[in-house]
Amino acid sequence: MNSRSRDLDPLAIAQLTLDTAPYLSCDDCFEQVDAHVDALLSGAAEILTPDFRAHLIGCAACRDEARSLIDLAGQDLGVDRETVLSRFERALASPERPSL
Amino acid sequence: MLTSMDEATPVTLVNRVAGAVPRADTDDWVTRLRFGPGRDEAISELHNLMLRAARHQIARMPQSHDLGWTRRDEIVHAAADEATAAVLSRLVHFEGRSRFTTWAYKFAILQTAVEVRRSAWRRRETDLTGLQEPVSAASGPEAQAEANDLIRAVNDAMDRVLTEHQRHVAVALLIEGVPIDVLAERLGSNRNALYKTLHDARVRLRRDLTTRGYLAVPRPEVTQ
Repeated sequence: MNSRSRDLDPLAIAQLTLDTAPYLSCDDCFEQVDAHVDALLSGAAEILTPDFRAHLIGCAACRDEARSLIDLAGQDLGVDRETVLSRFERALASPERPSL
Repeated sequence: MLTSMDEATPVTLVNRVAGAVPRADTDDWVTRLRFGPGRDEAISELHNLMLRAARHQIARMPQSHDLGWTRRDEIVHAAADEATAAVLSRLVHFEGRSRFTTWAYKFAILQTAVEVRRSAWRRRETDLTGLQEPVSAASGPEAQAEANDLIRAVNDAMDRVLTEHQRHVAVALLIEGVPIDVLAERLGSNRNALYKTLHDARVRLRRDLTTRGYLAVPRPEVTQ
């Protein structure tokens, strides 16, 4: 087969080769997102489960909606917006325990 | 579009969150929405809650700004209506793993986000074979040579190890930037199925590129 010449930029290559294991479906992500958000907001949890985290990294739509949900739910609790969002980004960035 | 709610959340997550959920507000919402003379008032309050979430979501999506006030308002109200109906129909499945409001918000956020993405792309043609011109970040001849080598390797892998469907989905979502809900609508599919296709495509690409020495062999993650 002749290889198609796609001039891929670094971002596209990173996205194409992203490690999104362990697999979690969008439906299951939707099912779990509220519990994860409240756990992060309350401090009951500081990390995301590996499959949920991998899914948010790999699915831009679910990630955007999760970010929106934690922002909105955080407003109800009077939690500082920047604090909430940075906590979410740290939980996304590393599977290890983030420093809060 | 709403997703199925049949799968159980892992027990570990339930246990982790259970102690953090204030029961009074949640129980009050569920009781008022299920029974009694105050049900209509509770549904009206729920609808207001869904309007708030829909407005929150649309305000944070830059692609909504070109839709115009009228269309944005239509989306907000339609999303709030659908989300209210979805919450009521799924109330029996609510298990208190989060606050009721957090659980309910996600329906309005999903409805709004999907409709904004679709509306913003409605007049655009999705040519799955067309590709955007890239912007190379490599600087210097050596870095450029390495970048070109990787680009060739990824191109080659895409042609050899992906099915035609996987290739089309990966190109549309990751190179052309077509939102997953838009692509799903145009292919007569859904977000779930397209994400699975993308996940499988990534697994194949990673396996091939790792075997050929372009990606490092992954280290097993340490569990806590």
